[in-house]
Amino acid sequence: MAEVTLYHWEPNANSGKPMLALMEKGVAFDSHYIDMLNFEQHRPEYLAINPQGTIPAMTYGDRVLVESTAIMEYVNEQFAGPDLMPGDARDRWRIRWWMKFMDQWLAPSFSMFGWKYFVGPNALAAHGQEKIEAQIARIPLPERQTAWRKAVFGLFSEAEMAESGRRIAVGIEMLERELGKREWLASDHYSLADVNGFNLAYALPLSQPHLSNDDLTPNIMRWLRAIYRRPATQACWKLGRTPMASRVAILEQDYIPPRAEAEGIVSGVR
Amino acid sequence: MSTILYHGEPNGPSLAVLAALGESGLDIECQPIDLLAGERHRLPGVTEPVARDMGVEGEGPVLVIDGEAMTESVFIAQYLDETGANTLQPRDAYAHWQMLMWCRRITERCAPAAAFLGCKAQAHAVLSAMDETPWGDVLAAIASEDLRGRWSAVRTGDFPEAPLTDSANKVADAVAMVEQQLADGRDWLMGDLTVADFETYGWLAGMPALLPAAFAASPRTAAWLDRVRTRPSVQAALARAATVNPEAAWAPGPEINRWG
Repeated sequence: MAEVTLYHWEPNANSGKPMLALMEKGVAFDSHYIDMLNFEQHRPEYLAINPQGTIPAMTYGDRVLVESTAIMEYVNEQFAGPDLMPGDARDRWRIRWWMKFMDQWLAPSFSMFGWKYFVGPNALAAHGQEKIEAQIARIPLPERQTAWRKAVFGLFSEAEMAESGRRIAVGIEMLERELGKREWLASDHYSLADVNGFNLAYALPLSQPHLSNDDLTPNIMRWLRAIYRRPATQACWKLGRTPMASRVAILEQDYIPPRAEAEGIVSGVR
Repeated sequence: MSTILYHGEPNGPSLAVLAALGESGLDIECQPIDLLAGERHRLPGVTEPVARDMGVEGEGPVLVIDGEAMTESVFIAQYLDETGANTLQPRDAYAHWQMLMWCRRITERCAPAAAFLGCKAQAHAVLSAMDETPWGDVLAAIASEDLRGRWSAVRTGDFPEAPLTDSANKVADAVAMVEQQLADGRDWLMGDLTVADFETYGWLAGMPALLPAAFAASPRTAAWLDRVRTRPSVQAALARAATVNPEAAWAPGPEINRWG
């Protein structure tokens, strides 16, 4: 049995970051899938490991680590294997800057769409209104209770969705410009910033087909395909169990033309 | 290599970075700027502005190296440490993770709250007294739409009750966290002196004046605030103050979490 256990949901966003980092480092780990849509992250068995009830969490010996980006930095420092932070201090600063920008400014906007169109409706369909109220009441963090209520009952305001949409458009432009400067995001080396960014952006040409495609964002597409081809990425996305993770297959296509915004919404997972 | 650190009054993130610079032993030119005059958005010689324009921190210090603007006080402090004396971060990976997690709790929860309360107490009066023309110039220089929104809210005095209460609670939570962390009698938050001490001090130093009750039952925190304040690197940073009471100087900070 491996010494490292990772409790994760889909290879996507926060769960996918430490999954892919561990696989890039070549660290063997016990994969423990937590079915988020089934509220497994709020069950006593999991709360005994992470009382906050957030995913992912990683155990190594008797240590418990949480917060996806911080876990990645720990994995990179603790274990042998390819270094996912470059030797130059300014490159490391740039990588940290981009990870914070994505984690705190850009990703919450993406996830507002993901929760509104995928997580909320699917959870509601699976459980029904009454049962889901009881599930939400058991969530330890008050802000996660708010997020679940908004997602499940469609309570994100128009202004909130518009602001998230604005940020997604701005963020895509910023990523495209940044990836025009260097081969990888924020440095000339494949790093934690790329692992982080791929988890955020892998489905862009599917979810935002009017903003990200081979005509409008060639640098993003080059970067996504390069990460997709890596063996660790291939192995990581095989651990997905929902249609969310299978979206990554769009990166098999050699040319992805622009499509209307509405086609992104009807793809089911935005 | 041309390197200049542009900083506001030694409080908040500017203080944290100035203190880390002092500990690093690096000899870097420091230039004070008037954050509330929008000077951060008109720095000379910036050819790579993205981190200055879109940083999450708001009006924090900017380290400009060969035209690249570097922001986010924790990461600038890490850069200075790693380039210089290398004493402010734990060597052990787990202890390093603990320090990063601590800094995230401060920057994500305490910093937006402290900036919100500080701006109400101080920056609002400065910005609301500004004439339309210079105000228009400031707004025009700010690239980020949401940061511009935070500036406008400070000028108009848009400080609703709910986020005020929430902010006071978050500062009190940070104080409780510090008090708990020091319970075993340690001098510094992570055991040894780290970036976490300066980042936390920067955001909390001005809070006893605004929220005395939050500190009333926290003697260990009070002693720790004194320890950090008397550290030579912090004294040197405070000596750069242009005002009598730099702990009362604020500028628009990080946004309060949009997810509630």
